[in-house]
Amino acid sequence: MTIGLLRRASLLGAGLAAALSGAAAAGEYNLTVDRVPVDTGTFTRIGIGYNGATPGPVLRFKEGEDVTINVTNNLSEPTSIHWHGLILPFEQDGVPGISYDGIAPGETFTYRFPITQSGTYWFHSHSGFQEPDGAYGAIVIEPKKREPFRYDREYVVQLTDAHPHSGDRIMRNLKMMPDYYNRQQRTLFDFLKDSKEMGLDAALSERGAWGDMRMMPTDIEDLQGFTPLINGKSSAQNWTGLFTPGERVRLRFINSSAMTYFDIRIPGLKMTVVQADGNNVLPVPVDEFRIAVAETYDVLIQPTEDKAYSVFAESMGRTSSVRGTLATAEGMKGDVPDLRKPPLLTMADMGMAHEGMDHGSMNMSGSTHTMPDGSTMKGMDHSTMNMPGGTHTMPDGSTMKGMDHSTMNMPGGTHAMPDGSTMKGMDHSTMNMGSSDPFYAPGSGLMPAAANGGKFLSYNDLRTQKPLYPHREATREIELRLTGNMERYMWSINGIKYADAEPIRLQYGERVRFKFVNETMMTHPMHLHGMWSILDTGKGKWNPIKHVVSVAPGTTVFMETEVDAPGQWAFHCHLSYHADSGMFRKVIVEGGPEGKAAALPVKTEG
Amino acid sequence: MSSSRILGAVLGASLSFALLTSGLALAAGSHGGGHGMHDMKIGKPGDPAKVSRTIEITMYDNYYEPESLDIKEGETIRFVVRNAGEFVHEFNIATAAMHEAHRPEMMMMMEHGVLEPDRINLEAAKAMQASMGHGMHNEANSVLLEPGKSGEIVWTFPKHADLEFACNVPGHYETGMHGKVKLSH
Ligand SMILES: [Cu+2]
Ligand SMILES: [Cu+2]
Repeated sequence: MTIGLLRRASLLGAGLAAALSGAAAAGEYNLTVDRVPVDTGTFTRIGIGYNGATPGPVLRFKEGEDVTINVTNNLSEPTSIHWHGLILPFEQDGVPGISYDGIAPGETFTYRFPITQSGTYWFHSHSGFQEPDGAYGAIVIEPKKREPFRYDREYVVQLTDAHPHSGDRIMRNLKMMPDYYNRQQRTLFDFLKDSKEMGLDAALSERGAWGDMRMMPTDIEDLQGFTPLINGKSSAQNWTGLFTPGERVRLRFINSSAMTYFDIRIPGLKMTVVQADGNNVLPVPVDEFRIAVAETYDVLIQPTEDKAYSVFAESMGRTSSVRGTLATAEGMKGDVPDLRKPPLLTMADMGMAHEGMDHGSMNMSGSTHTMPDGSTMKGMDHSTMNMPGGTHTMPDGSTMKGMDHSTMNMPGGTHAMPDGSTMKGMDHSTMNMGSSDPFYAPGSGLMPAAANGGKFLSYNDLRTQKPLYPHREATREIELRLTGNMERYMWSINGIKYADAEPIRLQYGERVRFKFVNETMMTHPMHLHGMWSILDTGKGKWNPIKHVVSVAPGTTVFMETEVDAPGQWAFHCHLSYHADSGMFRKVIVEGGPEGKAAALPVKTEG
Repeated sequence: MSSSRILGAVLGASLSFALLTSGLALAAGSHGGGHGMHDMKIGKPGDPAKVSRTIEITMYDNYYEPESLDIKEGETIRFVVRNAGEFVHEFNIATAAMHEAHRPEMMMMMEHGVLEPDRINLEAAKAMQASMGHGMHNEANSVLLEPGKSGEIVWTFPKHADLEFACNVPGHYETGMHGKVKLSH
């Protein structure tokens, strides 16, 4: 990536000059699709890349320009490029079988479309498993107007999860044995430990419940054994971005992984989130954030010391990590933090709240506790859970009897309760009662907490800086249950896989409210092509505008879409192996102006 | 300092950031730092009859023009502040520590719906006032303006102080909306 870095640095200068002179010509770009070597330091293999490398180049567009992109397929199989998050005519969207026929071996396909937005995006193949094999690159679009924040320098930080096996081979293995890549299965020893902690009946019941769901509490990453990379480099290869102390630096994080969510932090620095999925948000200062597969987040940092800071990304399942470096000179290195303890899925992540499950001796049909965020924690039967000890006053005035911290064994930070008392050592991965993130099931094992005890970004913190559409009532609601059978590695929507499903038909001009009900125990990053996904965080016209909406287990999440792009589009889970096995739909937008093809006068500037 | 205006802005930003970090300890120890407008350390509301000059401040998203101020010790200035951006902005003269202490109050105003990105919701402000005993601040060292609006401050600067002008609308300070006040003889 050294060449890429130089290219970026020089392009940044060029971009500034162009902006000052006001020049904005139509840009022409050339990409070749090649077989390329992948070297992570721990393994080497042949993958797929662009212009001879993976990740491919950073494409720098300007808002308002018309781009022409010539893509030459040097592979011996068909390929395609999808421009992830870009609003464009559907024939240019790059999904074989939906937008066009794809690009045959030896063929050059020319994409032409207007750039009507700005921000950080990416591109990738939408054919087979070329994307997990390395076929991705970044897109940076310079806005027409000055952005509502200042920075002196910028870097693309593209995260990927390179695997020693090819995508085809991984899919075969998963189909044959869904836990093939799950190295953290629970053992008899774990079971005995559970029994000791929660009682034999409860342990048996929970184990039974997991069995019914055909999953295990460690099924957070169904694909392990990968090497995470930052801009193509592993921790040892140490991608480095330079800064001068005091400069404000913009980092454009892109998660181009096939399957991996990352929790990202820069120990010693606060990050201010200024964009999500390419759209400006009201800036949020955070200590750490989670990036779903296919999302992008832009953050500003201001390192003041003459030292090396580690950009540290830990996989959500804590099976691997990657460190990059921000430093004042090449060759400097910061610390590589240890991996935190792997989270375990809880009963909450099994969606017990809405499934008619037999809770048996867990007996969770009891009282309801109002949590600080107003959400409720259903039915903990304290007598069965048997937690002797002190009494905690909850914000609603009720008391929470007898949490014995020694028995529950909850290491971790300290939570200040609204009454000023502190609640020591709750382990978020186990109980998670002090936190409040409506985008995780109450009591979820997946809810993240910042390593330094500080602020962890939630979807709930995101507010668009500028609504793209007038806020209005949705014209109708479409329920999409995210479904699957882990035992057979089948993923679907409403219980039907893509091959057997009818397309979703939308009418041009309507505003559709999608209701995602996640009935699986995996987190799914849902991606609708061609139209914006307005995530409902209850902020009305300030709801954030995204292209990927991550839906955690046991939760229901709503997003709304202004149906303003005629044609047909893909709509799918962005985990490569989930999409391929059937969690995928074709969306057909009916009606609309003839030949209008999405070139709508949508305001997209910051 | 370089003749380049951009570089100058960068230097200004980094200087003020250094102040901010050194001011953290102070902020932690002084309760209600944001209410310190009567504190002589930052100066005081000025007598309009003693104004020596008028400085025009234009607020954009999210930065000021000019990006720093040169002022004489004890000088009384009339600031004419115009919000030329699309979001609500503040022009507030204080120490970095006071700005830091003020930001949670602004965050609370946002959470109560008083401060919307592009307007000030007076109804929500009244509700906040009724339920919490306080709502909108009306302090002589600051002016909070909706897009398109203008306001004025007359301020007498002290002899010695490390002052910044800043916008404490959530996220604006962090993304660059602050500048240094240089006091000279
Ligand atoms: Cu999925
Ligand atoms: Cu502001």
